Amino acid sequence: MLSRSYYALVIVLAIPAFIWLVPTIWMLSLSFQPNDVLARTTSSTGFGLIPIPFTFENFFALFAFGHTPLWFFNSIIVALGMTLGVLVVSTTAGYALARLEFRFKRVVVVICLVGLMIPEQAVFIPLYTMFADFGWHNSYQALILPRVAVPIGVFLMMQFFKGLSKDIEEAARLEGVGWLQIFWYVMLPLARPAMVTLAILTFLYAWNDYLWPLVSAQKREYFTITLGLASIQSNFAQSEGLGRVMASGVIASLPVVGLFLIFQRYVVRAMSVGGSKG
Amino acid sequence: MSQQQAAAVLILPFLVIYMVFLIYPFFRGIWISFHDWNLLAVAFNPDAKEFVGLKNYSRVMWGKNITWSFFHSPFWQTGAVILALVTFWAKDAGRLKSSLAWLIIFIAFLIFFVMGLYPDEGGRWYDRRFWPTVANTILFVALTVPSVTFVALFLAAALNRETRAMSVLRTLFFLSNVLSVTVVTLIWQIMFSPRQGLVANITEAFGGSPIIWLTDVQFAMAAIVITTVWWSIGIAMILFLAGMQDISAELYEAGALDNAKGLKAFWFITLPNLKRTMTVVVVLQIILHFQVFGQVHLMTNGGPNDTTQVLVRYIYQTAFRDSELGRAAVMAVFLFVIMGGFSAIQLILGREES
Repeated sequence: MLSRSYYALVIVLAIPAFIWLVPTIWMLSLSFQPNDVLARTTSSTGFGLIPIPFTFENFFALFAFGHTPLWFFNSIIVALGMTLGVLVVSTTAGYALARLEFRFKRVVVVICLVGLMIPEQAVFIPLYTMFADFGWHNSYQALILPRVAVPIGVFLMMQFFKGLSKDIEEAARLEGVGWLQIFWYVMLPLARPAMVTLAILTFLYAWNDYLWPLVSAQKREYFTITLGLASIQSNFAQSEGLGRVMASGVIASLPVVGLFLIFQRYVVRAMSVGGSKG
Repeated sequence: MSQQQAAAVLILPFLVIYMVFLIYPFFRGIWISFHDWNLLAVAFNPDAKEFVGLKNYSRVMWGKNITWSFFHSPFWQTGAVILALVTFWAKDAGRLKSSLAWLIIFIAFLIFFVMGLYPDEGGRWYDRRFWPTVANTILFVALTVPSVTFVALFLAAALNRETRAMSVLRTLFFLSNVLSVTVVTLIWQIMFSPRQGLVANITEAFGGSPIIWLTDVQFAMAAIVITTVWWSIGIAMILFLAGMQDISAELYEAGALDNAKGLKAFWFITLPNLKRTMTVVVVLQIILHFQVFGQVHLMTNGGPNDTTQVLVRYIYQTAFRDSELGRAAVMAVFLFVIMGGFSAIQLILGREES
C-alpha cells in the first residue's frame, strides 16, 4: 500500500533527523566518558559520538559533591509549585469568566487581554525592586509567584469551559446545588484534559525559565538546575571537567525529555494550542 | 451564595496575584523610567531616586545635534518608500487586506523616518550602544525567523502522514525544543569550540581549518542563529502540521483529478490554505526571538565587539551591572512598545480567526 516513493522519502528525511539529533547524542556520549580522556580529545570513537572509553564516574561524582542534586530539587519544587498555582487560579478564573454572570466581567477580560501583551522582559526590573522591598529574593516564593497568574492559562481554561454543554450545570442548578459545588464536583472532573495540557505547558516553562531566576536567585542554594547549569558552563574546562558538566546537562534534561516522550500527544497539543493563542 | 459572590470567590485569587505581580509592576516600570534611579544607592536609601521626567528617554534614544535628512541611508529609505508604494498598490488591487496593508505602510514610514536620523557635525548619540543593539536584535530576528519558517514548513509538509516512521521522525525533530536554554548553549558552546568542538573535529577530518566561531566577528551571529534554529524548529513545525491537518482531504482529491500531486499540490493547495497559520507562526516567532537573551548571554557575552549584543541583554546589563535602573526601564518600555505592537497584531488575527 505504501509506495516506493514513501520509503525513499523516509530514508531521505532520516538523514537530517539524525543530524538534528547529533548534538544531543554528543552531550549524552560525552557525559559517559572519563574527564582525563576528554581533556585530551573529545573525539575518541566516532567523533566522540560513541562513548568509548565508558564510565559512570561523572554521574556518581555529581551526586557525591557539588550543588547539582540541590538545584534539581529546587527545580522540582519551583516547577511543581508554579504548575499547581497556575492550575488553581486558571481553572477558577476561567470557569467564572466562561459561565458566571457578574459585574465588571468585561473589565476583567480587557485587563487580561492587556496582560497578554506585556512580555516578562518588560517587567523584570520593577519586579526585582518589589521583591527586594519585601526582602523575598532567594526564596521559593520569589521564583514561583510572578508566573502564577498568567492570562494565557485563564484564556485556555475559559475556552474549554465555554465549549462544555450547559445541560449538567442547569440540572444541578434546579436541584439547588451551589455554584462552587458545581465547579468543584461537576466542572473540574470534566476539565481534566485541558488541565493536563496547561500543566505540561507550565511545567516545561517553569523548568526552562532562565531570566527571572538569574535576576532573583543570587545564592547558589536557591539556583534552579537551569540556572545552576549556566553558572558552571562558563568555566567547565578548568573546574569540573567536561564530562561532569555534560552529565549535569543530561540530568537537567531528563524530566522535560521524559515528560515529552511519555505525554507526547499532550505536549504536541499543548504546544499547538498555547502557540497559536499566544 | 449568589452568582455574584461565587464569581468573586473564584476570580479573586487570580485577579489579586495578577494585579500585584504583572499589572502593578508594569506601571511601576514606567514610573521608574522617569527617575534617576541607582540600584545600589536606592537599596541603601529609598529616597536616593530623583524625578527627571523624560531625561532618561533622551539619554537612551537621542543625542547631541541629531538631524534628519531625506536620504541619509539611501538603501533603507528608498527601500521603505518602494515598500510603501508596492503595498498601497497591492491593497488597491485587492491582493492584501487593508488592515494589514496599512500596518506595513506604517512600518515602512517608520523605517523611512528613523533611518534618516543621524548626528550632525560635532554631534553624537548620548548612548552609542543602544541603536546598534536594536539593529543587532532586528538582524537576529531577520535571520532566524525566515530560516525557522522555511525549514519547519518543509519538514511539516514532508512529515504530514500518519505512519509510524513519520511519527518517529517528527519526535526527533521536536526533541531539542523541550531542552532548556542553558542545556542548548552548553551543547552548542562546546560544539563550536575550536579545540574540542564536534564542528571543528569534522572540519579538520575533511582537511579544513577550524573556525573560531564564537569569537569571530563574522561568525558569532551565525553561530547564535544556527543554535536558535536547531532549538526552536519544533514548535513552528507543530503549528504547520496542525494547520495542514485542517485542510480538507477533498481539496487534495479534487486537485488530484486536475493532476495536481506532490509539489504541485503543495504549491497550489497546501500553501494558499496555510496563510493564516503562516502569519501566526511568523508573528509568534518575531515576538519570541526579539526577546532573545540566554543564547547570547551564555555563548558570546554579546561579543565580539558588541556584534551579538541584543536588547534584553543590554537591559539586564544596564540594570544589574551598571545599576542604572532608570535607563534600563526606558529600554524595557521600548521593548514593550515593540512587543505590544506585534502582540496586538497577533490578537487581531486570532480574533478574525474565531
